[in-house]
Amino acid sequence: MPSPKPKIRSIRQAFAKTLVKLALKNRQIYVVSMGLTPSLYLDEFAKKFPHRFIECGVAESNAAAVAAGLAKTNKIVFLATYACFSPGINWSVIKQSICENHANVKIIGSHAGLLTTDLGATHQMLEDVSLMRALPNMQVFSPIDANETRKIITTVSQSPLPAYVRLVRASTPVVYQFSGPYVIGRSQILKVGRDVTILGHGPILTTTLNLPTSHSLEVINCSSIKPLDIDTIINSATKTGRVLCLEDHQKNGGFGEAVASLLLSHQINCRFIHLAVDNQFGQSGRDYHQLYDRYGLGVDNIVDAINSLLL
Amino acid sequence: MPSPVAPYQQLAREFRLDILNTINQSGFGHIGGSFSSIDILTAVYFSSLFNFQRDHFILSAGHLCLSLYVILAKLGKFPPHLLASYSDLGSILQGHVSADVPGVEYSSGSLGQGLSFAAGLALGDQSHPTVCLTTDGEHDEGQIWEAIAFAKKYQLGNLINIVDCNNIQIGGSVQKIMPLGNLAARYVQLGWTVTTVNGHNFPQLVRALKKAIVPSAYPTCIIANTVAGKGVPYMENDYHYHDVKKLTPELFLQATNAISKT
Repeated sequence: MPSPKPKIRSIRQAFAKTLVKLALKNRQIYVVSMGLTPSLYLDEFAKKFPHRFIECGVAESNAAAVAAGLAKTNKIVFLATYACFSPGINWSVIKQSICENHANVKIIGSHAGLLTTDLGATHQMLEDVSLMRALPNMQVFSPIDANETRKIITTVSQSPLPAYVRLVRASTPVVYQFSGPYVIGRSQILKVGRDVTILGHGPILTTTLNLPTSHSLEVINCSSIKPLDIDTIINSATKTGRVLCLEDHQKNGGFGEAVASLLLSHQINCRFIHLAVDNQFGQSGRDYHQLYDRYGLGVDNIVDAINSLLL
Repeated sequence: MPSPVAPYQQLAREFRLDILNTINQSGFGHIGGSFSSIDILTAVYFSSLFNFQRDHFILSAGHLCLSLYVILAKLGKFPPHLLASYSDLGSILQGHVSADVPGVEYSSGSLGQGLSFAAGLALGDQSHPTVCLTTDGEHDEGQIWEAIAFAKKYQLGNLINIVDCNNIQIGGSVQKIMPLGNLAARYVQLGWTVTTVNGHNFPQLVRALKKAIVPSAYPTCIIANTVAGKGVPYMENDYHYHDVKKLTPELFLQATNAISKT
């Protein structure tokens, strides 16, 4: 029986609504904005909590250090704009002012990946996971859908450490069904299987849930990129002996390389393919499926990769 | 009540000798800016205008760490003998200022970030002053200008930015590397209150700080005109002494003698 078609929801709206909900209960929650309020659906927050909404204009470096200073006065600060600007422009400020100084800032990077579609290469942030997972003290999350976004935002608001949450522009299928709070460092097995382990993060992973293949696939949502869920990944890779990592991000320094390093350093004997953007810039496209096909991340490419792992 | 000058001068002399000895021992340190800024920091920390248990001090130019370390040692924040461990592996006294040192509120080294951080603190804690020390060379950084506009927008009257204008940076004079125009005028244009002082004149420094802590809707910039390497004639205004690797015994002796006579 075919599974019912999942709902399509906006990850950005889920983020903004959750933040308003949290801020109603917690007066320490602040937003530091960088001139893209409507695009992140933060108007409601700004209207409801004008004194907790700090608008820095399109000046991301200043904003990151302002957020850090503000956080040091016992505030929980959400620093929100497009990922191509933060961390894209202000990475060294995040490194020094936030990470080295242990400032409780949550960095929200929207418009990540090829999913940014028509805005093209400058706006399709494909390097943020590499940049952020390299930083000491930084946690990195990439929710699969609107449901998980709500959970992750709630959980990181309660964590005293800096965090980066990678969001996308597009509205995407809702597949996250787990109850209870989001646990940092834990992945979720979306589908149990025995032939191939598919590991990934973000909405692109939903494309693997109904693949035209008869093979038994184990699909694991690794939204907690740093820290990684070491045990779940190792157990599944040991069981299947075949790992496919999938991400809407550069191959270099991406999540897949974190997994490869993990598997090698634990002497896990398995076959491995990393499907990601391979040392190229993005480009405009009206539909993200089109872009995924063009960059070798489409359904056909995934099925080919699964077949070659099973050869 | 402008305080008598002698106690400040005596403290500053002691601090210059501490800085010189620390650098001589470790063989490394940013001496030019430490000597240009030490009078400013002495005024900030010993004028009794601030209580840094609750007020904030941010050293944006992290390479001037030795100026802050010798003062914090004097204030008993850590045992003065630790100065000898400066830049040693495992020492809390890193080569750029580190918040691991008791009394330091912000780790820095990458220029241009501290004023933004200070603005964030000033916004989050409006009942206490936040003092920030930047340098003229640091004003090459675009982020400084983002922070200046931000502080005015949010009317951070509790924010004081002291600019150590010693007119040198590592590769030459500030004028030559990147002319900044009229810094005071630029701050005024962006809505700050500006006072220009001789950064080695204690009554002027203390007066400017006193004025700056009076509540208002305007952030204050104190332009402190200073001499790089101040106190050691052969270092003064010479950008080659922005930082030193090692002083020869003769130069070390000359410097010690010169400072002792100040």
